[in-house]
Amino acid sequence: MRITLFEQAPYRYLPADFEERFDSVCDTPYALVDPHRMYESMRSFLDELMVGARSGFDALLVTEHGQSAYDVMPNPDIVAGALAYATELEGLNVGIMPLGRTLGKTHEPVRVAEEYAQLDVVSGGRLIAGFPVGLGYDVTINNGVPPIEARGRYEENLDLVLRAWSDPAPFPWNGRYSRYPQVNIWPRPLQSRPPLWVTGIGNPRTMQMTLDRDFGFNYFGFSGAKLTGKRIFPRFWELVERSGLPANPYRVGFLQTIAVADTDAAADRRYAEHAEYAFRKGLGSIPSHLLGIPGGIDIQGLRAVFADPGDVGMSRQMRGASYRELVAAGAVIAGSPETVAEQLFAFCREHRIGNLHAMLGFGSLPTELVRDNIQLFAEAVAPRLRQLWSDTDYAHHWWPERLGGRPSATTAAPATQSDNRNERTVA
Amino acid sequence: MSTSLPSVRREAVTVLGGRLTVEVQIAGTGAPLVYLHQAGGFGWDPLLRHLTERYTVYVPEFPGTSPDDPHAIRRVADWSDLVLAYQEVIGQLGLQRPVLVGASFGGMLAADLAAHFPELPGRVVLLAPLGLWLDDAPVVNWNAVAPDKLPALLFHNLSSDLVKAVLQLPTDPEQMRARMVARIWAYGCSGKFVWPFPEHGLRRRLHRITAPVLLIWGRQDRIVDVQYAKEFTAVVGDCTTAVLEECGHLIQLDQPQLTMATLDNFLA
Repeated sequence: MRITLFEQAPYRYLPADFEERFDSVCDTPYALVDPHRMYESMRSFLDELMVGARSGFDALLVTEHGQSAYDVMPNPDIVAGALAYATELEGLNVGIMPLGRTLGKTHEPVRVAEEYAQLDVVSGGRLIAGFPVGLGYDVTINNGVPPIEARGRYEENLDLVLRAWSDPAPFPWNGRYSRYPQVNIWPRPLQSRPPLWVTGIGNPRTMQMTLDRDFGFNYFGFSGAKLTGKRIFPRFWELVERSGLPANPYRVGFLQTIAVADTDAAADRRYAEHAEYAFRKGLGSIPSHLLGIPGGIDIQGLRAVFADPGDVGMSRQMRGASYRELVAAGAVIAGSPETVAEQLFAFCREHRIGNLHAMLGFGSLPTELVRDNIQLFAEAVAPRLRQLWSDTDYAHHWWPERLGGRPSATTAAPATQSDNRNERTVA
Repeated sequence: MSTSLPSVRREAVTVLGGRLTVEVQIAGTGAPLVYLHQAGGFGWDPLLRHLTERYTVYVPEFPGTSPDDPHAIRRVADWSDLVLAYQEVIGQLGLQRPVLVGASFGGMLAADLAAHFPELPGRVVLLAPLGLWLDDAPVVNWNAVAPDKLPALLFHNLSSDLVKAVLQLPTDPEQMRARMVARIWAYGCSGKFVWPFPEHGLRRRLHRITAPVLLIWGRQDRIVDVQYAKEFTAVVGDCTTAVLEECGHLIQLDQPQLTMATLDNFLA
């Protein structure tokens, strides 16, 4: 199994009553911030990821969220660029995985193609490229994209990025959402095509798209994987089977908040307040109406969500969630190395997960404790998990060759513009 | 006030070179009146029922809000496409200089139809129309508002029987879900033209409107401030303005009697 390090970049010094007074996105007053403490938060965040790179994690992961207090990451490629160069300098063979640039919101898709291509060159072919649609508030309120157009924009932008990477000749792009007289980016990715990953929340249409185009599929367990995992992963594997594809665990990534200490009791003592900070003041303080702005979910999806809202897990309770509730729902897995390894091993084996994205820094957790968490996890938990799937013949087709992956020859070619044009009438 | 539901027939009109079919609800007898509904969908409210007594009322359902074709909105490329589609609908229905009434989002569409095609309407009634933008008084985007805060933004008379009835959801869980899904989807479809702003250059075209216009605004409009009324009256040549007291954004639901009386007076 591949084990990666994920962190968001939270500002660690929000007031104690933050979640009662503010939302964590869009209109959070920046006056709450002490600029020096923002510097310190950002610097320690980068330092912690480098600790992970030195501790043997297979990749470093970051997400993109604009105008957000819980993940101060308007463009993950800036952080990824810093990590790419720093890890080259230190000779660390670790994947650089922005999860990543949000194609549903961007008004500059060629810029995204250029940034990722440059990251791949700077890192010497270690880019693993994530392409999410984007969260409602970020797509619509922060970027002015009508929700009903987000998916069409995403699909068109993805086609454009893939063609910009691969078409040897300059080409004009006459899209519905963007038009470029000429696309001929420099540089192109070092890899013949960087592995692509898409993050989903349970929509079978997104899952199927990853299968049809041979992308990796990421699921984030923020809303409590003990509640949602048994819904999401069987749904995915059923689609895999129906598509006649091998049940290769490496096509699935799973992101989990993890807190390790010497004993279970020590983990509770050490992490409880910081986990509560993370979920209450972070994801829990994103109002649900800013995630579900009308038009973002298709009418069939609305019917499904209203009939059975189970995919949202404990999201609605998160703003006031206690540490105990977070642990009970599986939003946080905490304990001694044995406890944590046992739970993760069982979960990943049950759901055929081939890539575990370990979120080891979160909320207000002081940087010394983040480093301890990273190192203890790397030394005492990761070795017990790595053996999972090692007794199978599956190759990792969604991982860079330089990092031991075997990118598949069947990785989907970009749709040509004429193929796509029929869909252009679809917003 | 007419209280019974009118007898409604439906007609499907295909426009945009066959790309889009618009469902039109039709009720009443008399001269033609076209009603363009607000962003959240359409219902035969007391004002509409009242109008059916003197007019044949045509209500094109906004693309995507007709139950049989929720994805029709995806075949409307942009605002220009939408305006042309409505002009073609009215043309194909064979309506000669109908009265054109639009509320809120529908008011933006009605105003732009009248600006693009000044000969199309006989008279125009705009009920708190969107379509303009003032940096000092930003239009509140109802799609970004928490659902429990929305009623107080849309209505002034929250305790009136009519408003309470409009806000009341069915008690049957399945019907309630269906109603909520339909409403959210309707907001999503019209939302295609309200982000980033419900403004599509109408200000540059308002001067083209030649038909007599009745503009009604609620004094307590908390979506589009009443000061927007002045922006219309300053440019539209033949414009009668009525500001209703104790009235919020969805005018004909907040002050049905006053709205009817004001319309009757203008249309007499």
